[in-house]
Amino acid sequence: MPLPSAPARKVRPLRGLTFLAFLKPQRSRRRQSSRNHRVAGLLFLLPGGLVITLFVIYPVLQSLWMSLHDWSFFRTTQDFVGFGNYSELLNDPRFWNALWNTAVYTFATVPVQVAIGLALAVFLVRTSWWSVFLRSAYFIPVISSFAIMAIVWRFILSADVGPTASWLRQLGITPVNMLNNPDLALLAVIMVGVWKNVGFTMVILLAALQGVPEDLEEAAVLDGAGPWQRFVNVTLPSIRQALLFASVIAVIASLQVFDQVYVMTSGGPLFRTETLVTYMYNQGFRQYRAGYAAAIVWLLFILIMAASVIQLKLFRYRDVDA
Amino acid sequence: MIVALAAVCALVLPACDSNGGTSSSTTSTTSASDAGTETTSAPESTTSTSEVDDVSSDELVTLTYWSGFTGGDRGAYEDLIQEFNDTHPNIQIDYQLQPWDTIAQQTPTAIASGSGPDIVTPDYNVSTILEYVANGLAAPLDLIGDGENQIPDGVLPETLVDSFTVDGNLYAAPANFATLMLYYNVDLLGEAGYDVPPSTMEELREYAVELSDGAGQYGIALADHSTIAVWPILIWSDGGDLIKNGCSALDDAEAVSTVETWSSLIRDHQISPVGLSGDEADNLFAAGKAAMEINGPWAAGTYREAGVNFDVAPVPVGASGSPVTLGSTVPMIVSATSDHQAEAQVFLAWWLSKDAQAQLATAAAYAPSRTDMADDDAITSDSLAASFTAQVPYARLYLPDQLKFAQIDGDIFSPAIQSATQIGDALAAMQKANDQLNEVLGCE
Repeated sequence: MPLPSAPARKVRPLRGLTFLAFLKPQRSRRRQSSRNHRVAGLLFLLPGGLVITLFVIYPVLQSLWMSLHDWSFFRTTQDFVGFGNYSELLNDPRFWNALWNTAVYTFATVPVQVAIGLALAVFLVRTSWWSVFLRSAYFIPVISSFAIMAIVWRFILSADVGPTASWLRQLGITPVNMLNNPDLALLAVIMVGVWKNVGFTMVILLAALQGVPEDLEEAAVLDGAGPWQRFVNVTLPSIRQALLFASVIAVIASLQVFDQVYVMTSGGPLFRTETLVTYMYNQGFRQYRAGYAAAIVWLLFILIMAASVIQLKLFRYRDVDA
Repeated sequence: MIVALAAVCALVLPACDSNGGTSSSTTSTTSASDAGTETTSAPESTTSTSEVDDVSSDELVTLTYWSGFTGGDRGAYEDLIQEFNDTHPNIQIDYQLQPWDTIAQQTPTAIASGSGPDIVTPDYNVSTILEYVANGLAAPLDLIGDGENQIPDGVLPETLVDSFTVDGNLYAAPANFATLMLYYNVDLLGEAGYDVPPSTMEELREYAVELSDGAGQYGIALADHSTIAVWPILIWSDGGDLIKNGCSALDDAEAVSTVETWSSLIRDHQISPVGLSGDEADNLFAAGKAAMEINGPWAAGTYREAGVNFDVAPVPVGASGSPVTLGSTVPMIVSATSDHQAEAQVFLAWWLSKDAQAQLATAAAYAPSRTDMADDDAITSDSLAASFTAQVPYARLYLPDQLKFAQIDGDIFSPAIQSATQIGDALAAMQKANDQLNEVLGCE
């Protein structure tokens, strides 16, 4: 009795990497032809690969190298300090203050931004002339220059020359200059951050809501589900991937917050709005400590990676198609 | 996006390397050395004084000049450079305006790699040139003297020459020289019964209290961050200082008393909003909501456009009894890797000529960078320029010899003032700043 032959090896699909299929060795009689295809494929990858290497991979590795030096733009030779910049950072109260402010900004901004974005998306999901108008209105801040918008908000929030101050005075209320107040400045920056980004979240969730299958909604209605039950049990699970995407993007953007802080408060008053990126800017481009600034950026990089991985784990662990 | 953020710092280097096209060029076949210019990339390279005669050869030399004068006085600089180009057919300036931040980030590596400008205003902080000198990026200026095409260091304000000199060599020439004066709103002072501006600090404080109504009008706009330094003037006028004998003087009685006095007026009498930035203070004065402000000549145009009926007066005299104000200058340096250092110095020499200084003073109300022009017709016929020029003898630079200027100003002094005005307890704020400053300065 012949021994059973070994089961045929299961061919695993490339799953998402099909564009690299040409790299897989082919056992066809047209081996020469397939080699030509591989060479051609590599040549097609070359321009993009060069650009990515030159403008992404090299700078990233260079910044890591800089963070290991007492790097100065003024010098042509740099002193190697190993992890000296990192150990100094961990003992730097300004770094911890910036990390705390960044964390507060992120934890305050992201949930509010996603919640308001979701509410707006639900409210504006049905297309009509006014919903189209409102969608555009809410999205305008997203496509506006943040630096310009921050200047506008500085004017609006000014307790002395802004319109808000004038109106409040007419009502007999003494205006408070939020941006110059150590206790309120971060709140003002958070408010403007939410205002700026909520339109982006709304558009992402709006697209997702429009893709929720109607038959699911109808089935839920037939089962006697009310509007809230349908929203919680049908709509939300259906847009979970969009919520994940919106949240991850919001967290990354919040951890990188720079421009509105730089323009609105310059990190003040008394460093109460200084974030990791504004501190990096201060060290790198005001005090010319490029190595130290690179170390800040790398810690931020690790922080963003960790936050993104945690979010993906939390949202995806029971996904049927994961 | 993550990757892009991580790359922020590192991107600076390739960016600097790719700013090509900014180096100087000659259009003749004659080499620079043939023209008498010693061409070498070594920072210690020098050009002998006699070589200046060869500068006016037939060779056309184009010099690249990076500058950050993008404000209201931009036109005055551009007109002056055009004037130089029109009168010097063999030396042409390719004037390239860039934001100050960009200049700060790109210039050091650009000069080091030999692709930088021939002339640059590296920063509006005087002390930055010390970094350039220490790292061999600035060429020493040696075409010095009273003749044409020579830099007249003998008539430059002593405080500027001292700040621009390292180890006996002059490394920079002033692109401008501004003094600060007290701007006052004539109408607001008149309504309060004041016909003349305050002449002493005591009067200034009295005016400020009287002119503040607690309902949106302030006696004075005192900025504490992102501004030309105003608080140091208050400290100096009372006999205090920031640094004495190389160590902090922030907890000296004079400095503490000054900060205490002014911060309590701000907190208790609302003579000025707290936490003002420089442009917020300017806006307040331009809007007629602040009666007085200490500022430089560049602000006059804005206030005129805003329709404010203003005049200027010398900064009031404080407890020290001696008039004092802030002098502000932007240094111009010649790149140590420039192939045309002699021609670049000819430009600096022309810039400091009486004609050019008179033109700059009347166009932008700057004080001339020469001390021998106070009686010049062009200056005396312009009342604003004459007023600012008259303050030159009393002008002091702010932390001119501090390599760590940005840290001292941004991380120590400004927060101390903010703490005193926002939280109170000026003594504690100044003592804390004193300790921080001593640590930076390496003092016990």
